[in-house]
Amino acid sequence: MSKLNETDIQGFVLRGYNLPLARYLFLHFEDASRARTLIGQLLHHVTTGQRWDGGKPQSTVNIAFTHQGLAALELPDATLLSFPVEFQQGMKKRAGILGDTGLNSPERWDEPWREDRVHAWLGINAQSPAALDSRCAEILGLLQATGGAVMLPSQDAAAVVIDGKPTTREHFGFTDGFGNPDYLGVDRSAQPGQGKLMPDGTWAPLATGELLLGYADEAGELPVVPVPHILASNGTFMVYRKLHQNLATFRAYLNEHAPLYGGGREKLAAKFIGRWRDGTPLELSPDNPDLSIAHDPKRSTNFTYGADSEGTRCPIGAHIRRVHPRDAFGFNGRLINRRRITRRGLPYGQFVAEGEPVSDTEERGVIFMALNASISRQFEFVQQQWIEYGNDAHLGNDKDVLMGNHGGHGKFVVQGDASAMNPPFICSKLPNFVELRGGDYFFLPSITALGMIAMDLVDPR
Amino acid sequence: MPNKNGNVYGLTILSPIIDDDKATPSHDLQIRRYLATLPTGERSPFALAPGTHLARLVVMDDVIYVGMPACEEHLESKYLVFESNCDGELDNYLNGLAASVSEQLDAIWSHCVGYPGAANRQAFIDYMKACQIETTFFFAAVNDKSVSETLRALQTQHAVADFIASHQGMDPARLQAEFAQFVAELRSAPVPKAGSMGQPRDIKTGGRNE
Amino acid sequence: MSNINGKVYAMNAITPMKPWKTFVLRGFFFLLGHIKPLQQDLINLSFIEFARWVVLPRKRFPYLGNGQLQEDLQYDYLLFFSNFNGTWNQYIDAFSAVLSKGLNLVWRWSEKFPGSVPVTPFKQYIARVQFDTDYYYTAYPHTTANDLKSAHIVQASLDSLCQNAQSCDPEQFADAYLRFVLEVQSHLGETGEAPTVF
Repeated sequence: MSKLNETDIQGFVLRGYNLPLARYLFLHFEDASRARTLIGQLLHHVTTGQRWDGGKPQSTVNIAFTHQGLAALELPDATLLSFPVEFQQGMKKRAGILGDTGLNSPERWDEPWREDRVHAWLGINAQSPAALDSRCAEILGLLQATGGAVMLPSQDAAAVVIDGKPTTREHFGFTDGFGNPDYLGVDRSAQPGQGKLMPDGTWAPLATGELLLGYADEAGELPVVPVPHILASNGTFMVYRKLHQNLATFRAYLNEHAPLYGGGREKLAAKFIGRWRDGTPLELSPDNPDLSIAHDPKRSTNFTYGADSEGTRCPIGAHIRRVHPRDAFGFNGRLINRRRITRRGLPYGQFVAEGEPVSDTEERGVIFMALNASISRQFEFVQQQWIEYGNDAHLGNDKDVLMGNHGGHGKFVVQGDASAMNPPFICSKLPNFVELRGGDYFFLPSITALGMIAMDLVDPR
Repeated sequence: MPNKNGNVYGLTILSPIIDDDKATPSHDLQIRRYLATLPTGERSPFALAPGTHLARLVVMDDVIYVGMPACEEHLESKYLVFESNCDGELDNYLNGLAASVSEQLDAIWSHCVGYPGAANRQAFIDYMKACQIETTFFFAAVNDKSVSETLRALQTQHAVADFIASHQGMDPARLQAEFAQFVAELRSAPVPKAGSMGQPRDIKTGGRNE
Repeated sequence: MSNINGKVYAMNAITPMKPWKTFVLRGFFFLLGHIKPLQQDLINLSFIEFARWVVLPRKRFPYLGNGQLQEDLQYDYLLFFSNFNGTWNQYIDAFSAVLSKGLNLVWRWSEKFPGSVPVTPFKQYIARVQFDTDYYYTAYPHTTANDLKSAHIVQASLDSLCQNAQSCDPEQFADAYLRFVLEVQSHLGETGEAPTVF
């Protein structure tokens, strides 16, 4: 395949920046021509996928649009109608499909998500608070100068800092940041276990078209794209979800159930996710965490479930096993290659150490962003069929223990064996540990496409 | 015998529908209208009569033209397709239908050519066999359990999950006693009805049958 | 009037075949029926409850006289009736991803079949040859094929435990009970409503 033109692809798509701070601005366009002028100016700021030879920049900027945003920019109707159906509808209208009901339903969402006013997302990542503020000030300056958009309530996010250093932990205490797929042509240090499984047991990168529009995907064809192709090429779709975490409920639930579980509190927590809190995969080290594995990229995601079909090491319903089943469904993993997503995002809210007082009403959670070529085939499928449901894993209606919309019902089975430290165990009457507080579907265009939008040159014929 | 897979029978019946210009609405539309309001749950005729795992009724209007260079052709009659996956032998199954739900059978098949009515059992069975098409290849995920065995197993599965969850960490003597009681209650519980939806849940997921 | 009842989808498809090709297809089905390993992939794709193919030769449409006109057709027809779990897209995606050769062996004899890979033209063909169900009944609307298999495993394990439980003291029972839990621990998924179809 041809080499990717990294200068045409937004950097946010090709790599996680690993910058510790972020501010997500949400914009509403009131006048198409002023908005286009604004985008033209923002183009100079947008971070591309070009490699950083001189080290990481102090801050980065990326931009994406909702369907309503593209309509407000007055793209042609034929183009607007050629976008995939789920993107046209937006995430709120898909609530029934995604299981965003009850505590997750749109009536309970935060601003700016409750009304349909979000037209654009501006993601600003930065090394330091000073860099973040200065970059934001520049952007705000542009907004004022062009009158191109109104600012809606923004969202701050930051890596959890422990002992003065930013970490990849999230609020429940788990280490995050494994599990992003490898794609053909996307240059990053590949880790075994992140691509697709080959018949000989090695891992190969996924087809580029699973992430980027305009390239062949795992089904051997080009994914559905809007017209004209040049608007779509090198772009992708982004799912943004603000996931509030009920930390008090989570800790209380563990405290209540861990005494009954033979393996102890840390092991029970590990069974929820499929990794010990330090990131060691249960599949490779079922009895105790092992930093030498967690810190070794050649091992930290290099495992399969074939030898653990009963779930005695990593429970069948554990989070990482649900969202990336690897070979668990047979057929050498071929059934899952078109269901992978790339995750970006950061936690938000104050980190509270174990044992310190904490309340569910405090603003705390994770900003979850998924990048994929087809929202319905990838993100929506995983959310509906593998998180809020369990049939493919032979778990019936059981939901993901951490993410599922349980409403006080449901259960999570920790499969075990006859040993005292690894008994079978059922967690029932599950509360909602995570609640959805807003989000939407976005289109993340290429640099070329941004230019076309800014210059009003989009023509579907 | 390709119609069977283990203990399950794959019945495929194509009944020609009466073509009468003077019928208003036409017979195929009348069948459609009746089927649109026929219950699909516990009150379905296939729940009331024994032995049906899954079944469907389809009014097949015509064959389908797949486009040039294939030839376009049309059927002279419309057909009512009855596809059933059921227990046991064909004669018993058909007898069971005729005995339990003759009213519904007549309402549907009276619009078909040569239908004698369910009252005359032998004529009814002969008619169905005259319309039967041999299943060429029949696949069944589970082929050795009857409908009532399956309904009982589903009830057991649900009860066992609840029992295990609520008896964790219990001392052996008490566990054994409660288990004995659990089994006794389960054994005497009535078999759940075929086609039933079970307990309604708090969170609506927009499922088709809510 | 729906193709869906609870967790199961009723798909109906009809495709025309030149009569000499029907002969080849029957041969393939004969082999499939008698060589069990060929069915293994179908069994492992565990979302099909029941499925059948019916070869309907052009002269064998049921004819009952009484004023019915006889059919006069050029093609034989292949009818396909499937009862599967999951969405239409998921079903076809899975088959195209892992069973494409088998699918091709069945449908290549049908006129204008585009092949089962890549998946988009395949889906377009299926949409063309699919016709809708008027009435669909299942005795188990809240269960999938996986749930059914799990339920039978749990029932068998429970029956076995009951037999042994008769004659043992609490300690022995606790052992037998633990073994029972280990047997059923991956078969306890709740049944219930299907996710909203999209």
